[in-house]
Amino acid sequence: MRNNRKSYVITGICLAIVLVLGYLLVINIGSPVGRPLTTLSPRGDKSQAIQNLIVPVFAIAGVVFILVEIGLVFVATRFRRRPDEVDGEGEPVQLHGNTKLELGWTIAPALLLAVLAVFNVNTILQMDDATDPLEVTVIGQQWWWEYRYDLDNDGAPDIITATEAAIPVGRDVRFKIQSNDVIHSFWIPALSGKMDAVPGRTHQVILQANEVGMFQGQCTEYCGLSHGLMRMQVKALTPEDYQIWLTAMTTSPAQPDPKNELAVQGQTLFVAQCSYCHQIDGVTPTSKSPYPYNTVPDPDYGKTVAITMASGNAPNLTHIMMRQHFVGGLLDLYEEGGSVAQAIPEGTPNTNNIKRWLRNPQDVKPMDPNNNQGMPNYNLSEAQIEQLTAYLLTLK
Amino acid sequence: MAIIEDQRPLELTTGHDPVAPEAPSPLGVFARPKANTGWRSWVNTVDHKKIGIMYGVASFFFLLVGGVEALLIRLQLSVPGNQLLSADLYNQVFTMHGVTMVFMVIMPMASAFANYLIPLQIGARDVSFPRMNALSLWIWLAGAIFFNSSWLLGGGANGGWFNYAPNAGVTFSPGTGIDFYAIGLLIMGIGSTVSAVNLTVTVLNMRAPGMTLMKMPVFTWMNFVVQVLLVFALPVITVALLLLTLDRMFGAAFFDASKGGDPFLWEHLFWIFGHPEVYIMVLPAFGMVSEIIPVFSRKPIFGYPFMVGSGIAIGFMGWGVWAHHMFASGMGQLSVLAFSLSTLFIAVPTGVKILNWMATMYGGRIKFTVPMLFSIGLVGMFTIGGLSGVTHAFAPADTQQTDTYYIVAHFHYVLFGGALLGMMGGLYFWWPKMFGHFLGERTGKWHFWLMLVGFNLTFGPMHILGLQGMMRRTFTYTSVQGFSMWNLVSTIGAFIIALSLLVFIGNVFFSYRKHRKNPVNPGADPWDARSLEWMIPSPTPEYNFAEIPVVEEFDEFWHRKYGHDENGRLVRIAKTEDVVESSDPVTVHLPSPSYWPLVLALGMPLVGYGLIFNLWWAVPGVILIVAGIYGWVMEPATDPDGGHGHDDHHDEPDEPDATELAAPETAEAELVSASAGSTGAITGEGDSQ
Repeated sequence: MRNNRKSYVITGICLAIVLVLGYLLVINIGSPVGRPLTTLSPRGDKSQAIQNLIVPVFAIAGVVFILVEIGLVFVATRFRRRPDEVDGEGEPVQLHGNTKLELGWTIAPALLLAVLAVFNVNTILQMDDATDPLEVTVIGQQWWWEYRYDLDNDGAPDIITATEAAIPVGRDVRFKIQSNDVIHSFWIPALSGKMDAVPGRTHQVILQANEVGMFQGQCTEYCGLSHGLMRMQVKALTPEDYQIWLTAMTTSPAQPDPKNELAVQGQTLFVAQCSYCHQIDGVTPTSKSPYPYNTVPDPDYGKTVAITMASGNAPNLTHIMMRQHFVGGLLDLYEEGGSVAQAIPEGTPNTNNIKRWLRNPQDVKPMDPNNNQGMPNYNLSEAQIEQLTAYLLTLK
Repeated sequence: MAIIEDQRPLELTTGHDPVAPEAPSPLGVFARPKANTGWRSWVNTVDHKKIGIMYGVASFFFLLVGGVEALLIRLQLSVPGNQLLSADLYNQVFTMHGVTMVFMVIMPMASAFANYLIPLQIGARDVSFPRMNALSLWIWLAGAIFFNSSWLLGGGANGGWFNYAPNAGVTFSPGTGIDFYAIGLLIMGIGSTVSAVNLTVTVLNMRAPGMTLMKMPVFTWMNFVVQVLLVFALPVITVALLLLTLDRMFGAAFFDASKGGDPFLWEHLFWIFGHPEVYIMVLPAFGMVSEIIPVFSRKPIFGYPFMVGSGIAIGFMGWGVWAHHMFASGMGQLSVLAFSLSTLFIAVPTGVKILNWMATMYGGRIKFTVPMLFSIGLVGMFTIGGLSGVTHAFAPADTQQTDTYYIVAHFHYVLFGGALLGMMGGLYFWWPKMFGHFLGERTGKWHFWLMLVGFNLTFGPMHILGLQGMMRRTFTYTSVQGFSMWNLVSTIGAFIIALSLLVFIGNVFFSYRKHRKNPVNPGADPWDARSLEWMIPSPTPEYNFAEIPVVEEFDEFWHRKYGHDENGRLVRIAKTEDVVESSDPVTVHLPSPSYWPLVLALGMPLVGYGLIFNLWWAVPGVILIVAGIYGWVMEPATDPDGGHGHDDHHDEPDEPDATELAAPETAEAELVSASAGSTGAITGEGDSQ
């Protein structure tokens, strides 16, 4: 058991290597680069508050972990039975316990936890603080998210969109979270913790973005078939850009240019095939739905926006090209990708993605339309897909 | 050996005419079973040891089933965008994996040990109600097979093991998978309840003379806590499952918000059961480790009262923390505060256990046998699970962590690193007692190290994945999400775990073959161990104790072998051979085997199929259940004509009345009671000195 200087040096070097590797690993784990959903890189004040609470806890837990594991290895090696030891000679002292010691290691962690509990309570109370919040209603549905903005507080939403919400940087936002079917969970890790969307209830998440950005989110309560693909985005814009976004979103898109024949044909097709579920402001469905979501058509469908019928059964597409993502955030609407938040997206529309979806939606996102869950495959012809795509591109 | 029936408990306990319980005249195949060997002896047995072994074998089979499901999960997630499983199939596989591992592996494997060992550790000849013990096994097994048969009958459950409403309602899950979940768990719950009542009574009533509660081995204590938890927890899940069944099959709306129900009701009911369930799964393994570490450290367990007390504390506090599964459910700030605080402090008794195990090893003389390696592995790995548990007791942090892989990592460190590693250690430790030969030590070490490495490779990276935002229960992910590397590592780890299980199977097979070629009996006490089960020959004889020992101290058997000198050092005071039991039983009376538990249990899945598919199928099920109950009631607990197949059986005059009157038996009392046993002990040479 005698150590010479050399073995100390070797142990020291090994320890140093382990520490450096461990440090690099921790740095790497915490890095947000290439990890759009990481919880370790807060970009909002609530997520920062959570981070401030938990990082010291991680540190303490890490220290306890290292102490216990080192202690375990030490005890196991120090008191291992050696080959020259014989039963009956120099047997261990039969210690049955030590009440003081045991009380000590019962009370000490309890005290430590009691101290941490104070910070815990403090942070819990802090999570619901909000001053003059912007209110956005979020409705979870299988398997996409709808957002409603009631700008004039008259009870009727003025903006209805899906998948991608816009918020101004530096202002508290209260997301009022509801569900249309099963339990979902709304979660933008960079901005705040998650909150379940439970049918029949309204919950809230309050958050504030500290910087401009496109923040990724993910449904985190198992909600059936395509739960894993139920994503959403929150884009935080400067207050000026946010105003631009609001203006664009509250202005109905122009009717397709008559010269754009494809788009005009696409509109006709849309009204016949799609408008029963997908609302577009100013478009009235003419036919009965080929698909048994609503048995009785709403007479005012598309003329006014009313809460009872606002979303229909599928995302409102009035301003689809104002979004940078569609299909629950799975696919980009623009060639340039959707990682940079823009008030009004610029760039080349990614028509391949749109066509891919129209060709067979279930190929992109598994759904069960026979059980009223998600979009059926209409087996559109390529010509029809071209027409619909041309029409959708005008919806900005 | 001479096994002699000297009592007919029914005669003296029911107070009826002694002639009344005479067996109904044998009706062909329904004649009282007598087989003592062969497969029949297993089917009709009421012996707690055979029942324990059957629990073990069946739970190991389901471990392989659940393991294959786990491998499918890991294969699907090994690379982004994998198409191996469809979303629907993946959802079934992870649900079935979870339910199988919880209800068909961890719980019954713990039951295997509890059934086998509790009577031995408390110095009893069997459990209080042997036929009920058989019933609980058969009902559980029938439920488990019923549940898994859903794979062949339209697909497995796909609502997650937590099965939240309203996704689990017929509107959103119209398939039959969730019906199998609801009814399968109801059936298994009946089995577990029967077993829990039985073992609770056994611990309270059947202890050997002198064994006070605070002289019971820690394993028995932890299992006692578990059984009491089960008695109270199972009714909650039973109610929830019944409501779910009513919702799904009869159009009730307990959990359907659109009809005025409340999905929160399910969440609360499920977790009021679900959280104690965590301790139900992990405490038995804690008990095993508390037996193994002292034996191989050659020191008594450090702080026995603290070990027992912390186990009880965990059991109690476990009822006040359930809503920490719901921090993100929107239940309100006050609830979050309360449950966040209570959850923080449940870490304390668990921490006490870890430190006491280490203190037990401290100053000992540690032998690194395979069971000891698994036990040290549990201490090290459970520490990780416990600490990550503390990090999500902080509710705001939990809203970032919950439903991510961080949670998956956490509970696998608790249930695999805790429960399963402990039970693997238990298998190696008690194998010679159960089967009369050792498992291979060298192979066992391979098993341990492969499992430890595979386990950490599989579940360690999940901490990182979770903190980086990978959600649970997702059938796929895309490369831009940055989850690819650690998922691949995790999948590799899963296959190393699979390899380690193959090594274990090989170990079982080859050690048995070696034993068959060259039988070497390990003797009663192969490990120089401490508790009563090591006093009796290996494998355990059918009657357990020829003479029921009279207990004076905690670790009674150890104290018969060792004392200590003035410095507190260990001194041998008696040879092991002189202390262990060698005499043939003088007066042993064993419960008689019976078909009826099996008949009764077989009816249950038939009723289940009837409820799901066509009520006519339930008719034979109900007939079987009624017939089982009828046959059981009409059958005397002890076969008046039975000799258990022992040739040397002969009737003897009844024991003196005093013995009989002392028997605290109820009508169900089916076997020799502690009093009958103690008669043997008193008449025999009761002590070793």
